[in-house]
Amino acid sequence: MGLEQKSFNRLVVGAVAGGFVAVLLAAGATAWAVRDNQVYSRAVDHTYEVEGAIAQVRVTAEQLEAARRGYMLRPGDTGHRDTYRQMAAAAPALLKKLRGLTADNPRQQEQIDELGKLMALNLIITDASVDKVERGGQVMAIREFQADTSATLLGDIRRITDAMRAEELRLLRVRDQARAQSVITLYGGLAIALILLAFVGIGSLWVIIRYTRELTESRNALRRLNEGLEVAVRERTGDLKRANDEIQRFAYIVSHDLRSPLVNVMGFTAELDTALATLGGFVDKVEKEAPALADGEARHAVKTDLPEAIGFIRTSTQKMDRLINAILQLSRQGRRVLTPESLNMSAILGGVADSLRSLSDQNGAEITVESPMPDVVSDRIAIEQVFSNLLENAVKYSKPGKPNHIVVRGEEHPGRVVYSIADTGRGIDPKDHERIFELFRRSGAQDQRGEGIGLAHVRALVYRLGGLISCESALDQGAVFRVSLPARLLAEQGAGT
Amino acid sequence: MSTGSSVTIVMIEDDEGHARLIEKNIRRAGISNEIQHFSDGTSALHFLFEHPSGPALNGPALVLLDLNLPDMSGTDILVKLKSDDSPLKRTPVVVLTTTDDKVEIQRCYDLGCNVYITKPVNYESFAQAIRQLGLFLAVIQVPEVEA
Repeated sequence: MGLEQKSFNRLVVGAVAGGFVAVLLAAGATAWAVRDNQVYSRAVDHTYEVEGAIAQVRVTAEQLEAARRGYMLRPGDTGHRDTYRQMAAAAPALLKKLRGLTADNPRQQEQIDELGKLMALNLIITDASVDKVERGGQVMAIREFQADTSATLLGDIRRITDAMRAEELRLLRVRDQARAQSVITLYGGLAIALILLAFVGIGSLWVIIRYTRELTESRNALRRLNEGLEVAVRERTGDLKRANDEIQRFAYIVSHDLRSPLVNVMGFTAELDTALATLGGFVDKVEKEAPALADGEARHAVKTDLPEAIGFIRTSTQKMDRLINAILQLSRQGRRVLTPESLNMSAILGGVADSLRSLSDQNGAEITVESPMPDVVSDRIAIEQVFSNLLENAVKYSKPGKPNHIVVRGEEHPGRVVYSIADTGRGIDPKDHERIFELFRRSGAQDQRGEGIGLAHVRALVYRLGGLISCESALDQGAVFRVSLPARLLAEQGAGT
Repeated sequence: MSTGSSVTIVMIEDDEGHARLIEKNIRRAGISNEIQHFSDGTSALHFLFEHPSGPALNGPALVLLDLNLPDMSGTDILVKLKSDDSPLKRTPVVVLTTTDDKVEIQRCYDLGCNVYITKPVNYESFAQAIRQLGLFLAVIQVPEVEA
C-alpha cells in the first residue's frame, strides 16, 4: 500500500491548514487574554480610585466635624475656621468626582445621592454653628451643637461610605472571579491549540517520514532495476560480441585451413601438367619412331582429355581460392578495429569517382557528386570501401547504348546522415533486392566479372558502422542505393580481440 | 667458414603435399643441400637442439617453417630459435605459410624471422617463390653455430 501523491498533497495541505488554525487560535486566545487583563487592571485601578474618592469624602466629612468642634471650643483660633471653610468649599467637587467615577453604577449613584444629601444637611448645620461662633455666639453654638443631629448625620455618612466601599469591593471580587474564569478559559483554549498543534505536528511528521521512506524505497527499487537492466544489456552485448567473434574466428580458421589443401591441389595439378608435357613429348616420339606402337586412344588421352581435365581442375581451384579469399577478407574486415574520424565526404566521393574515371568513360557513365555533401564521423577505410563498391557497381551495370547518369546525394537527419547513389543503369529485378546483398549471389545477366562479394562486403561494413543499406530499383529503371549512417560513430571498446 | 653446400635445410611442414612440392621446387632450382623434413614441432625442435647431427651440435642450417603445426604454433618454434640464449639465434629462418594476415607477418618479423613467404595458391607464383628461395639459399652465407 502506497501513499498516493494526490492524497499525500491533500494531507500536507490539511496539516498545514490545521497548524495555522491552531496557531491563530492560540494567538486569538492570547490577544483576548491580554485585552481582558488590561480591562481588569483598569477596573482594579478604577476600584482603587473610587475607594480613594470615597475615603476622601469620608475624611472630609470627619475633618469638617473636627474643624467645627475645634473652632467652637477655641473661637480665637482662626486656623480651625479657615480649615473648615476650605474643606466645605472643596466638598461638592469631591462628591462630583465620585459621582463621575461611578457613573456606570446606579447603585452607587443612589448612595452618592444620599451621601450628597447627608453632606449638604450636615454642611447646613455645621455652617450655621461656625457662623454663630464667628459672630461670638459660642455658648449658643455649643448648646445647639449638643442638640443637633450632626453626630447622627456623620454616622450615616460613615455607614454609606462603608456601604459604598463594600459595594466596590464586591464589584472587584466579581471581576476577580470573571478574570479567574477567563484565565481558565484561556488556558483551556491554549491547551486545545497546543494539542491540535501536537497532533498536526506528529501527523505531518508521520506522513512525511512515511512518504520519504516510500520515496526512498521506490528510488532504490528503480536503481536496482536500472542496474539490473544495465547488467542485462552488458551481458547481452557481451554474448553477442562473443558470438560474433566466434563466427569471425570460425570464418577465418575455416577459410585458412581450406587454403592449405588447395595449395596441394594446385601444386600437384601443375606437377601433372609438367608430367603431361613429358608424356606428350613421348607420344610424339613414339608416333615418329615406332608408328606401330602408336595408339589413337592414348594420344587422345594425352593430347585432349588430360589437358581438359587439368584445365577444369585449375579454373575450379582458382575460383575456390577467390571465394576463400573473399571470406577471409570479410572475416578480416570484421576483426579490424574501426577508428572514427571526421571525414570530408565531398573529397572522399570525388576521389572514388576519379578512380573509376576510365571505367566510367568506357561504359558511358557520368558520376555527379552533389554539393553540399554532409560530412560524417566514421572509419575512413570502411567508408571508402562502401562507396567505391557502390559506385563501381553503378558504373559496371550500365545499360549498353544508354547514357548512365550517376548522382550521389547526401541528406542530414537528426543523428544520422543518409547518402544515396542513384544510377540510370540496367536496374535490378525487385525479387533480387535481398539476394544481391548475400555472399556469392549475383543478379541479372552474368556478363560482368565478379564473384558476388562486393555488396555482401558493403552490407557487412555498413552494419559494422552502425548503419543500414537499402535498394530501390526495377529492371531497366536504374537503381538507388541508400546508405544511412550514424552521424557520429563511437569508438569501439575493447574491439579487435 | 663453411660454404652453402654444407648447409642443412630443416623443413618443418605438417602437410606432406606442401613438403613434397617445396622439395621438388628446391631441387628443380638446382639446390642439392640435404633436406631434413619434420611434420611436427616436437621432433623438429628435438632435431634442431639435441640431435647429434642437428644444427645446434653439428653444422649450419636453414629453417623453413610453417606456422600451422599440429602440436604447436610455428611462432613458438620461432621464439625458441631466436631467443637470446639459443645457440641457433643466428640461423636464418624462412617462414612459409598460407597466412597473408599483415599482423601475423609483422609478428613473425618482430620475433626475428628472416624471410616471410606466403604460399600462394597460384602454383606458378608459388613455384617462382620457391625457386627464388632456392637461389637465395644458393647465394647466402650461413653463419656457423657458436661453440
